[in-house]
Amino acid sequence: MSEVSTAREIGAAEIAALLERIQAGDREAFMAVIRLYQQKVFVMAYSILRDREDALDTVQETFLRLYQKAGLYKPGSSFQGWLLQMAKNISIDHYRKHRKKRQEWETTTPLDDIPVAAEPARDGDSAATDLRHAFARSVDTLAERQKMVFVMRHYNELQFNEISEAMKISVGTAKSLHFKAVQNLRKRLAPVLGIEP
Amino acid sequence: MDDSFEKDPERRAESGAIERLLKETDAVRAEILRSAASVDWDALPGLIADRATAANARDARPAPAPRPMGWLAAFRMKPALAGLAAGLVVGAAAMYLALKAPGVRNGGNDAYFASGEFLDRAELEMARRNTVDYLEKSQYMLLDFFESADEGPVGPAALRSERTRDLLQKKKYLNAQLDRFQMAKAKAICDQIETLFFELSQIDGELAAAELGRIRGYVEERQLLLKINLVKKELQSGV
Repeated sequence: MSEVSTAREIGAAEIAALLERIQAGDREAFMAVIRLYQQKVFVMAYSILRDREDALDTVQETFLRLYQKAGLYKPGSSFQGWLLQMAKNISIDHYRKHRKKRQEWETTTPLDDIPVAAEPARDGDSAATDLRHAFARSVDTLAERQKMVFVMRHYNELQFNEISEAMKISVGTAKSLHFKAVQNLRKRLAPVLGIEP
Repeated sequence: MDDSFEKDPERRAESGAIERLLKETDAVRAEILRSAASVDWDALPGLIADRATAANARDARPAPAPRPMGWLAAFRMKPALAGLAAGLVVGAAAMYLALKAPGVRNGGNDAYFASGEFLDRAELEMARRNTVDYLEKSQYMLLDFFESADEGPVGPAALRSERTRDLLQKKKYLNAQLDRFQMAKAKAICDQIETLFFELSQIDGELAAAELGRIRGYVEERQLLLKINLVKKELQSGV
């Protein structure tokens, strides 16, 4: 996702120096780290929460936590992976906290307003809309680890080694979870895709 | 190899399916990008830094001076402990009052007691189960109906079958529960199904092709089968 990638790649030594300055209360260093990673954190949060405002809340929360815990980062490991893991955990917490609200919304929304699938065909593009909704729902219902790997691989465009660091799993496990995610999506979407499950 | 791939319809379909999956992934990514594009990324770092500084300043405030009866502070600082202590006091008081109340020790009233809240929850659960059962039976009924309509003309016997009558009857019983627990979404879908079954039961003679088309249109336009599935799942998951 080049559009939301950081302005430039940053070396491990440079990030370690920035984190040290953050611990000393350097506002400029903190802002520099935010500028570098804010969009990646947003993508991660949005992929889980599917809501712009919630994702922005999560971005703020993630960096506030980074400000408090900058000293916990272990030099030598991937900073991006560490930060995204933090963002992932905060997003999941946020999702769980607000699930009740979402459920209330779901039970009081009139039937015809439920975004179940395509509206009755109006513009001849209903099949595509159908698939879009079905796809989003299917990704949401993947097992948590499969979903995270899929999101990091495709929306955050991380390499498997970065995913493995962020999720604290081996590269092999990351690949296997990705494979299972794709298989499950394919299976769940088989009726919409018009193939055998 | 390419040739065999081209000729094998199963593999072609599979490859097409994966391609469409990836396309959808791109579409979702595009949605995220659109959302990201509307954020003021230049202003956000300053905003977060301000919040972090403010939070830091709050944390750095000096601790209040120790107060007399300092041991009570331990309870103030540990809500769980304080809660436990308060619970013990309230519980003991309640037990004392309950045992002191006249008639309790006489054992005159041995009836099983359940709180109103518990009964409400049990009834809600019953309502959910009944609704799921109704939706399931209706779904099978509709599928069977369309299947038999595809095989040949549908006669009055099928239209006014016992199943249709049962479902209409069941819906009448369900109405009160749906209203009571404000299951608006489930009620809406059940009402649509009821209308459909009622119309089917009113048809005299064989079902004409035009009539069948109209009914099919009704079901498809409202995405009735899909919505039955969704509402059913929602109810089953206890939402």
